[in-house]
Amino acid sequence: MRILVIEDDRATADYIARGLVQEGQVAEVARDGKDGLVRALSGPFDVIVTDRMLPGPDGLSIVRALRSSGITTPVLVLTALDAVERRVEGLDAGADDYLAKPFAFTELYARIRALARRPAAAVPAHAELRVGDLRMDLLARTVHRGVRPIELLPTEWRLLETFMRHPDQVLTRTMLLERVWGFMFDPTTNVVDVHVSRLRRKLEVPGETPVLKTLRGAGYMLVRT
Amino acid sequence: MRRLLHSFAVRTALGLAATVLMLALLGAGWGWLRAEEALSQQLDLILRAEAEGLIRDYQRMGGAALLDAARVSARRDGLLQVLVQTADGVPLAGQLPGAPAALLGYATLSPAGEAPMRALGAMLPGGINLVVAARLSAVRAAARALVWTPLLTALGAGAVALLLGFGAARALERRLARVSDVAGAVTGGDLTRRLPLSGRGDEFDRLVATVNTMLARLEALVTAQRQVTDDIAHDLRKPLQRLRQELEDAHGAGAPVPDGALAELDGVLNTFAALLRIARAEAGATDRTPLDLSALVSRVAEAYAPVADEAGRGFEIAVTPGQIMQGDAALLQRMLANVLDNALSHGAGTIRVGLEPGPVLTVDDDGPGVPPAERDAVLRRFVRLDHSRTTPGTGLGLALVAASVQAHGGALTLGASPTGGLRVRIDFSDAFVTIGPGDLS
Repeated sequence: MRILVIEDDRATADYIARGLVQEGQVAEVARDGKDGLVRALSGPFDVIVTDRMLPGPDGLSIVRALRSSGITTPVLVLTALDAVERRVEGLDAGADDYLAKPFAFTELYARIRALARRPAAAVPAHAELRVGDLRMDLLARTVHRGVRPIELLPTEWRLLETFMRHPDQVLTRTMLLERVWGFMFDPTTNVVDVHVSRLRRKLEVPGETPVLKTLRGAGYMLVRT
Repeated sequence: MRRLLHSFAVRTALGLAATVLMLALLGAGWGWLRAEEALSQQLDLILRAEAEGLIRDYQRMGGAALLDAARVSARRDGLLQVLVQTADGVPLAGQLPGAPAALLGYATLSPAGEAPMRALGAMLPGGINLVVAARLSAVRAAARALVWTPLLTALGAGAVALLLGFGAARALERRLARVSDVAGAVTGGDLTRRLPLSGRGDEFDRLVATVNTMLARLEALVTAQRQVTDDIAHDLRKPLQRLRQELEDAHGAGAPVPDGALAELDGVLNTFAALLRIARAEAGATDRTPLDLSALVSRVAEAYAPVADEAGRGFEIAVTPGQIMQGDAALLQRMLANVLDNALSHGAGTIRVGLEPGPVLTVDDDGPGVPPAERDAVLRRFVRLDHSRTTPGTGLGLALVAASVQAHGGALTLGASPTGGLRVRIDFSDAFVTIGPGDLS
């Protein structure tokens, strides 16, 4: 992946770039809004990560400029302000995701990967999602693992659908909270862990290969078996 | 009707009209007495003049003239009546029912079944008693006629006072209502609102100018405070972020990072974020979009149900559908989540989430509850009850709940649940704006 990082704080920019390189990605860093906008407009990138507050045009202005030039590269906006209050504003401007500082690199990287893999044509065209031997029929609302039918509650259904739309991809707790429940915050209680372990009990009966992996400190991943 | 009577305008108008009417009634009464007295005096003078004329006629022309005059007056039945009688009261000419014998000087006669009369008697040589009288009814009629005029004027004045008073008071009320509206909006967090000046430069405009100056000062102070908060957020979070990055890098590079250092740091950052959110909510900086509170409550509660189940606790949800309000969905979600977190970590037994029309949200549990004396304290920042000091938490959860409820104009009460546990009751029925289901887009 080729990722553009627009961040005026040198330490944060280096931290992100170093992390990305360690993961085997190509990172390009712009130190201010003007430089960032020029690079974003000229080169093809898989994902753009921009700070919201920048010298020169700010993060949201950059997103608007990109979108009005017809560039649809996914953009993740970083902010020092509370994400809840400013999130809608950012998404309205055309950003694809929003992350509040401070963040863990694993959280940022999981989101970058989710953005980069966002399918060009939305999945709803298919009536069925398949990951390994898991099959989800979106119209009949049935789930099978191999030939074994699986009964799911509505929340478990939404959770599994989210995983099946992002196979082999780390989904962090906050990403799941946002996507499955629409929560813009992190509850003290381990809501996500409980729901995931319940879903896992239904997906993996004794004797079957594990499909839902827990990545300590990062999140969860549905793997193809 | 009760509300109408409580209105300042109606009370002022009624008070004014009553005062005008009362004054007019007193004036009319006094006028009536004065008029009757003056007319009576005038009547006495007329009687005296007539009596003197008759006496002169008698002296000049003898008794026959007097008797003639009395007979003529009896036939004519005019204002004046003349009676000539002996000293013993035997009538010689004319008639005057109820006249006493040998009347000397003025007297008021009230014969049974007849109109009262004013009479003047004189004794003439030869034992003749001359009595001249006039009906008092004429005087009273005149006095009454004089009294009607001020009374009618008073009624008119009362009606006008009622209308003018109502109008003036309504105008004042409308200006006060604008003050109230603006004050409400400012309380709700819109610090940019100002009162309109009428431009008349009257005492009201001077008050408005003073209040506007006060509001401007308030806005400046709050803006400065928010700026400071934002600056702290920005300036403190950056070094903390770098610290976190370095710890994470060191950890990744295999350097010995103490266990829990990252978790501790994340705890500090969370506390910090929670304080900022409370400050924001208290400043009233919330979104006001129409939202389905029933759906929001159901969704948050359903997310928590399995958590309670895993912890061996019961969980019941009773939500009345279709409860709509205006608010900040993210803040309300977090508010309910904090209440549920609190019930999970400090309560016991079954957690019951209820939403009733109003909308009124309740969360009950079967735990030890909160003693009445400590209910206000637990809503403050960093306050934790002794028995909960060992459980994890920042001591900010319920403070954020209180700030969120306040930001929406709701009322938060902590009480006892039917089983003696804690009941958290959040009443949004007086929230700034509640709207009908049709308004939800």
